[in-house]
Amino acid sequence: MKLSTKLTLFVSLSKLAIILVFVLALPFAVDYISSRYTDNVLRQQKKKVLREIKEKGVDYYLDGQESYGSYTLLREEFIALEPAESPVNLDTIATAKRIIEQDTLRYRILSHTFNAGGKRYVLEVARATSVMGQYSRPLQYFAFYALLALLALTVVVDLMVTHKLIQPLKAIISQKLVNQKFPFAARQEPIETSTEDFQYLDHSLILLMDQINEAFEKEREFTANASHELMTPISILQSKIENLMENTEVTDHVHQKLNELMRTLNRLKKIVNSLLLISRIDNEQFSRNDEVSVKPLITDIMEEISHRLEEKQISFSADFKHKIELQNVNADLLFQMFYNLINNAIKYNKPGGSITVRDEYKVDNYSVVIKDTGIGIPEEDLPSIFNRFKKSNLSEAGGYGLGLAIVKSIAGYHHIKLDVASAVGQGTTITVVFAEESVKG
Amino acid sequence: MKALLIEDEKTLAYEIEAFLKKAFYICDLAHNARQGFEKLEDTQYDFVLLDLGLPDRDGFVLLEKGKKAHPETAFIIITARGNVDDRVRGLNMGADDYLTKPFSLLELEARMQAISRRKSGINTQLIDLGEFKVDIQKRMVSYGDVDIDLTRKEFDVLSYLLLHKNRVLTRLQLSEHIWGSFADDDFDSNYIDVHIKNLRKKLVAHAGVEWLETVRGVGYRIRK
Repeated sequence: MKLSTKLTLFVSLSKLAIILVFVLALPFAVDYISSRYTDNVLRQQKKKVLREIKEKGVDYYLDGQESYGSYTLLREEFIALEPAESPVNLDTIATAKRIIEQDTLRYRILSHTFNAGGKRYVLEVARATSVMGQYSRPLQYFAFYALLALLALTVVVDLMVTHKLIQPLKAIISQKLVNQKFPFAARQEPIETSTEDFQYLDHSLILLMDQINEAFEKEREFTANASHELMTPISILQSKIENLMENTEVTDHVHQKLNELMRTLNRLKKIVNSLLLISRIDNEQFSRNDEVSVKPLITDIMEEISHRLEEKQISFSADFKHKIELQNVNADLLFQMFYNLINNAIKYNKPGGSITVRDEYKVDNYSVVIKDTGIGIPEEDLPSIFNRFKKSNLSEAGGYGLGLAIVKSIAGYHHIKLDVASAVGQGTTITVVFAEESVKG
Repeated sequence: MKALLIEDEKTLAYEIEAFLKKAFYICDLAHNARQGFEKLEDTQYDFVLLDLGLPDRDGFVLLEKGKKAHPETAFIIITARGNVDDRVRGLNMGADDYLTKPFSLLELEARMQAISRRKSGINTQLIDLGEFKVDIQKRMVSYGDVDIDLTRKEFDVLSYLLLHKNRVLTRLQLSEHIWGSFADDDFDSNYIDVHIKNLRKKLVAHAGVEWLETVRGVGYRIRK
């Protein structure tokens, strides 16, 4: 789930919870407030009555009677004035039941004892509790719906605001993480944001990318320098061995030994050359200005390599159906790439096996498929076959595990995608998918 | 033939010098650009073998000035710098060839001979080989009036052996010359043997090829 959705969902749910609590508590609040209000009203009325009694005498109410009582038509309020029986002075407000004309009702009653005309009286002013809580339910409903509407409104606002707030994070993810291709561009533009956390995240990512770039750069530099430095001693050794071989005094036995020495040296040379080639490709020291078709490349490779096919009695067929010209490529590197792939198809093939090369053109995608009937690659080895110095356990044939590393570098240099499908004992199919921009026309 | 070798790596320079002397070249040595300039002022050379990475000056400077002063002299660049730009730049500046270290001394000699042939201006240079005649320039082998149809690789093997006649060439040296950087990477291969076998078969149909010798465990030799 997206962060903005999560945030909005969380905020909305918590708001909803608060609303529910509020709405449920509303009747109690209303009761409390209305009882306070009622108490106040009762006190006001008590004051008014006492004032009138003071001004006009208690008889104004009693009208010659022992006691006085009056209530409203629906018995919601009443007032009563009676001689006090108890010597205790009362001044309380309490909720109690009273029977008025056979109806038992709950009242909020203010009782007050006072002296007037030499006698003690109890004054009761009351209001029915049913009147007090009468708005509570509709109020509850109203509050609930009004708050729900408000909630909906805030959800919309929340969504908009979080979307806006999280925008920089989205930009960081898409620009710095998802759409980054290694090696990263030397200069990374910081994402504009006023949120410090995002600034920090973005800054850290840029720093990290710089560090990775630097480490990669160092490795490339090291490979290039080390290979380059190794060339001189190899050169000296080779010249020395060659001169020794020229020496007529050297016996056949020594000559053979020298020959073996030379072969070992050549192996070293080959490795160093391959490493240098990879580092030159990675350092972009090759131009990409050639226009070339794959078919003649394959024909040239066959000329170079046919003796190896003959030796293993492997049949080869090339089937090119599409007249596609590639542009902005390096012909030598593509030659090397296909050479290595076909060479592998021979090297890891079975005697009497076959190799087929064909092309495919599907909606802007031009690809060349190289299929062999070789020993295949175990599935667990597939992810690492393009790594340097990696060799299948199954392969008893030679090789330094650099052929495919070179292929990978060349492919990367031309934005070529390589798909490998393989079944042990049945063969391997490598599909070379050219980038759209490499296909001319 | 006079050659000047400008190479700062002394051990390597001595080896190349020894080889060239054996191949009947008169060879002078310079270990830096300054010495190189001095030698070039004194002597007219046929060949200048020039290392690009010299301690005092870049080899390209020497190439530019040297070529201007001695347009007839063949300049061969020998360098560990293998990148395409340097190669193109060197050849554009008038270098006659460009060899990347490490190279085979035999390859160096072959290149020097090729330059000599080119400069001598002789178009047809027929070399006798037993009862056959070999035209290196036209890449043809004939027996009397009959042209023998050889593949490119077969001719390459034959001509390289012929160029280094009376010398045992290892399979490795042969395959490196023929396939260059695409030389077999599994070294127990017998691809060269296959080519020699085919070559012999084609030639033997016309006349004996006892001059083409197999040296057990090492390689092949043309004895002449």
